[in-house]
Amino acid sequence: MAEKDALLAELARCVLEMEDDAVVNVAKEYVEAGFDAYEGITEGLAKGMEKAGQLYEEEEYFVPELLICSDAMYNGLEILKPHLKRDDSSKGCGVLIGVVEGDTHDIGKNLVKIMMETAGFDVHDLGRDVPVSEFIAKAKEMGTGIVCMSTLMTTTMGNMKKVIDGLVAEGIRDQFKVMVGGGPLSTAFAEKIGADAYTSNAAEAAKRARELVATA
Amino acid sequence: MEETTSARLLRQTLGGETPSRPPCLCPGGMMNMMTAQLMDLAGVYWPEAHQDPAVMAQLAAAAYENGLFDNVGVPFCMTVEAENMGAGVDLGDRYTEPRVTRYAVESVDQWEELHPLDPHQGRANTVLEALSLLHTRCPGAVLMGNLTGPISVASSLVDAARFYKELRKKPENAHKVLDLVTDGLIAFGLAQIEAGAEFITISDPSGTGEILGPKLFAEFALPCLNRLCEALRPRCSGVIIHICGQLQPIYPQLAQLKCSALSADAVVNLAQLRAAIPGMVVMGNVSTFALAAGNAATIRTLCQNSLKQGADILAPACGLGTTTTLESIRLMMEAVRSQEEETHAAH
Repeated sequence: MAEKDALLAELARCVLEMEDDAVVNVAKEYVEAGFDAYEGITEGLAKGMEKAGQLYEEEEYFVPELLICSDAMYNGLEILKPHLKRDDSSKGCGVLIGVVEGDTHDIGKNLVKIMMETAGFDVHDLGRDVPVSEFIAKAKEMGTGIVCMSTLMTTTMGNMKKVIDGLVAEGIRDQFKVMVGGGPLSTAFAEKIGADAYTSNAAEAAKRARELVATA
Repeated sequence: MEETTSARLLRQTLGGETPSRPPCLCPGGMMNMMTAQLMDLAGVYWPEAHQDPAVMAQLAAAAYENGLFDNVGVPFCMTVEAENMGAGVDLGDRYTEPRVTRYAVESVDQWEELHPLDPHQGRANTVLEALSLLHTRCPGAVLMGNLTGPISVASSLVDAARFYKELRKKPENAHKVLDLVTDGLIAFGLAQIEAGAEFITISDPSGTGEILGPKLFAEFALPCLNRLCEALRPRCSGVIIHICGQLQPIYPQLAQLKCSALSADAVVNLAQLRAAIPGMVVMGNVSTFALAAGNAATIRTLCQNSLKQGADILAPACGLGTTTTLESIRLMMEAVRSQEEETHAAH
């Protein structure tokens, strides 16, 4: 157990300290030791990225540092992803995911996507800076499922409500569960705009998605 | 007594004298002043105005001749330098500014492949010819040359995200790129002054304190900006530097800038900025979103706020959106003119 914890801590440290080359070998060592890839992401890489985000907020890190941290995280993910055990309990349920229009911050969205895939969901990724109309068009095509939206910016939060309003206008709101996430959001905000859930990190988002589908 | 021209107002302001009213500027370059209505008024349009010196001069003159600003300024984009050094540019259309569509090199490691900037080639030369035309056409105006800041040019030559990472991972070669860029900008700036520009504004939207943080700003942006100031200031009447975004994290570094005036974004509290960099002439910072939204009462209040907080020069906080109306823009000049009346009334 000590070895696993040490490797998880090392994965987190590599991301936090911008070791975008070193992280690859640590991730390899981790999977070769037979440890769980899912935890490697949630308790290792994502933890490091979370701390990097904190340093950014505290103005210790700036854009160049954050870019290298995210490179390190993605390099680690490349190694861990093929080893994720797919859970089939949510198979067949579609998840529509994207960063709302006006925002290009997609690290959080990409993590949620991986967690959702691991939880067995069928994920359609619309990418970043996604117009309201694109969410609606794809939702109509899917017919039912979960809509996940994220943004890191207060200026673009309003676009989440526009997507929900669009689903209502199309008469398909009840066919979907709507989940939102991102830095400036809160449960109160989710309730205010009529979303079904707010989650604060990727692992929690996947867990909550399962619950939402189970109760539907 | 010397006639009170727009150019004199700015000379006085930058020289530490008290002019009869604050100048009202929108320099050009990244600080775009061209709008759809203004193009209609001038009868000439983008993208032709980016390529033909007579058309460029005709459009630049319109802002001054219609009493919107104290200056004329060229060019109308921030791609001239990067294109000259090897980047591919799409000139846009009537309402879209030119933008870089192909980077010159993949990494700062290829710094030797960059072309040295030649001011007498391509659209750089168009800018020089337009400045000569404007020099004759608008004698009283503030004749403003514009340069894209060193970090912004460099991050148009190498993909921005890559460039930012290489500042940390390959600092030596990042410095090589920035040195080449700064040499080119000095040559282009001096050529603009030679062609008739009396003032130069350098805008560096990609080299902000918010993006780089104090350490990288001090290591990479500050020395280049100061090298530009040292080369250009003795040859003209003033060098203005505009830096976008919040400035608080880099106040100590800004205090070391050797420019004649510092222009700030709408998020900056000018009173606080003035306190942090005593003695610096401050320009700013009317929200371009408010100007584009067009609520006259809001715009008037914002102009008064900027002036009250200590703007020596009133200016938009960034480039104007092309849909901004002439009525909205005129409110800025109205605000500085009302100060002139107040000065008269006080006497």
